Amino acid sequence: MPSEFTVRSGSVDVEQIMGRIRARVREKRGVDYTEDEIRELADVKIEAFLDPTRVRSDLLEHYLKHHKAAEPGAAPSRGGLTGKLVAGVRLLLSPLLKLVGKLSSIRHALRELRLNFVLIHNLVVEITRLAIEVRNLKMRVESLSSRLDFNERRARALENVVQYRPGAVPGAVPARATGAPAPESRREPDQTEGQAKGEAQRRRRRRRRGRGDAGGTGRLPSESGGQDGVESAPGAAQQAPTPAAVPDRDTPDQ
Amino acid sequence: MKIAIVVQRYGLDINGGAELHARYVAEHLSRHVEVEVLATCARNYITWANELPEGVEELNGVRVRRFPVSRQRAVKQFARRSVRVLEQTHSLADELAWLDSEGPTSPALIRHISQNHDRYDYFIFFSFRYYHSYHGIRTAASQSLLVPTAEREGAVGLSLFGPVFRAARALMYNSFEERAMIQAVSGNAEVPHVVVGIGSEVPETTRPGRFRQHYGIESPFVVYVGRIDENKGCKELFAYFQRYASAVSGNLMLVLIGHSILPIPDHPRIRHLGFVSDQDKFDAIAASEALIMPSYFESLSMVALEAWAMGKPVLANGRCDVLRGQCIRSNGGLYYENYREFRETLRLIESSRPLARALGDNGRAYYLRHYDWPVVERKYMDMLHQLQRADRAGCTVPGVEPLPGWRERRRVDCRPANDVVRDLPSGASVRTERRS
Repeated sequence: MPSEFTVRSGSVDVEQIMGRIRARVREKRGVDYTEDEIRELADVKIEAFLDPTRVRSDLLEHYLKHHKAAEPGAAPSRGGLTGKLVAGVRLLLSPLLKLVGKLSSIRHALRELRLNFVLIHNLVVEITRLAIEVRNLKMRVESLSSRLDFNERRARALENVVQYRPGAVPGAVPARATGAPAPESRREPDQTEGQAKGEAQRRRRRRRRGRGDAGGTGRLPSESGGQDGVESAPGAAQQAPTPAAVPDRDTPDQ
Repeated sequence: MKIAIVVQRYGLDINGGAELHARYVAEHLSRHVEVEVLATCARNYITWANELPEGVEELNGVRVRRFPVSRQRAVKQFARRSVRVLEQTHSLADELAWLDSEGPTSPALIRHISQNHDRYDYFIFFSFRYYHSYHGIRTAASQSLLVPTAEREGAVGLSLFGPVFRAARALMYNSFEERAMIQAVSGNAEVPHVVVGIGSEVPETTRPGRFRQHYGIESPFVVYVGRIDENKGCKELFAYFQRYASAVSGNLMLVLIGHSILPIPDHPRIRHLGFVSDQDKFDAIAASEALIMPSYFESLSMVALEAWAMGKPVLANGRCDVLRGQCIRSNGGLYYENYREFRETLRLIESSRPLARALGDNGRAYYLRHYDWPVVERKYMDMLHQLQRADRAGCTVPGVEPLPGWRERRRVDCRPANDVVRDLPSGASVRTERRS
């Protein structure tokens, strides 16, 4: 008998690969729905809300047009014997015509009622959809505004950190320190600690005098509740810098 | 030994699956035994109009005897009868009427078999669903081998074919899935059979560079070869590929080869080349990253075998049991059943060259093991010799079951064929089954 097929060949196992692919597809999809089930769910969602393709923007116009067409017009009058004959027949049949007319108006009213019902239904659906959408948008706006607020506070705190960190970037000169003495990190090696201390005290005194001349409030820096020109940011406390990065109030750029 | 190969159409320019299959088998078996082909004069498989000359001619060393078709297919009548037998409860008479309207109705061919069956040792009938196979096997059941080329479609579920499947001396299946389906529908497991398939006429050398230059295709591409038809799953393929192209970055193209009876999407990454020569087809496959087979119904995909013969991976529609089974058995291709799987499998083939190469190598090994021509020829010859030995030993042949009486044939008690097929077991046959 001829040779039979071997199920496995080589190091590649197609069934195993397909198993992995399917597992990956399941992971991405979350729930193991089939394509048909997903389509069905999608259809249900569309049906539950408003189907935009079925909404008629010219519904009112259409209705009015039909309404006009349905209104009975005046019967054309005919002269002569035929006209008289028709008038006679009409007279004879007038009770019946009245009844038919009433039935017609009842039918018309019912149709109108049905139309109103459809319109109201559509409006209710649309309002519901809009309400949901509005609620979602409100939540989104709230979320965005809180995130914006947080980011603003964070930005302020970070600005302060950068402002009061001379020497954080080696070789960088603080923006408002042009012409000022070199920061501590760039001191000459032979400069003693005592000399540096004396220099700092002198600078502090000069600044206090300067503030007084400029019409300062007379408050001590510790009483100001924050740095000069910067609002107190609650978030800044949360974003507290490390001790090395704490702003040095004695630096010349203040 | 002299055998007759009986097929609905035969010619060098006829490229239908079963017809090409029959021609390849005839040409290869003619190296071992005397072969004569019995066919109709039809060229068009829809009208069955007599376009080829009646009589005998020789094609590629094989004698071909053609018989006229008595009437062309009435398309509307056939459609109406198809609805009747496939979708409604019906009678055996309805099914026989359906078979007549399907065609190719050639009583002359059946008469020839009836009058000359002694001149041949065996008849090999191709395609179970046509007039020539049904009436031919009923005429010479004890000498008949059947190559069903059955797909999972409604015709398999028609009750008139059950006796034919049971009456043939042997069945040459294209795949395990086809065998499982026919055995389930007809209960013919006792009939000698073998899963044989068909070889491919792949050229020794291909020139992928020439193909790219000739058609101006520089990007990597996957290729589809065959009739571009909704029934072949092409519509779904277009939808999936367009989604893939928009979702996955890259420049992978889809190249289509074959006549189209479906509008091709106007997409920068889809290219239709129309009908091309065999050399171009093979060059295209050689230049491609993979072959795509989106068909739902196949008894054996010859083009998939050709791709494997050339060491290319195949991406197949997993809802076709046969293709899925072939991919699993060969470890030479991946398959998909929905868009997500299509995306993942195609991306894997596109992005992982080692995997694509390994799949292609496995496919080639599988082809050489089971579908190389020496293997296929040996399977046919083994079966013919087995039958010959049984005949010489005087084994009794059960023969074909007689048709029910006139009244019985008109009893409306046959289930809709589509329902019958739907209830058949499905899925890829991945277990190795050994038949002694």
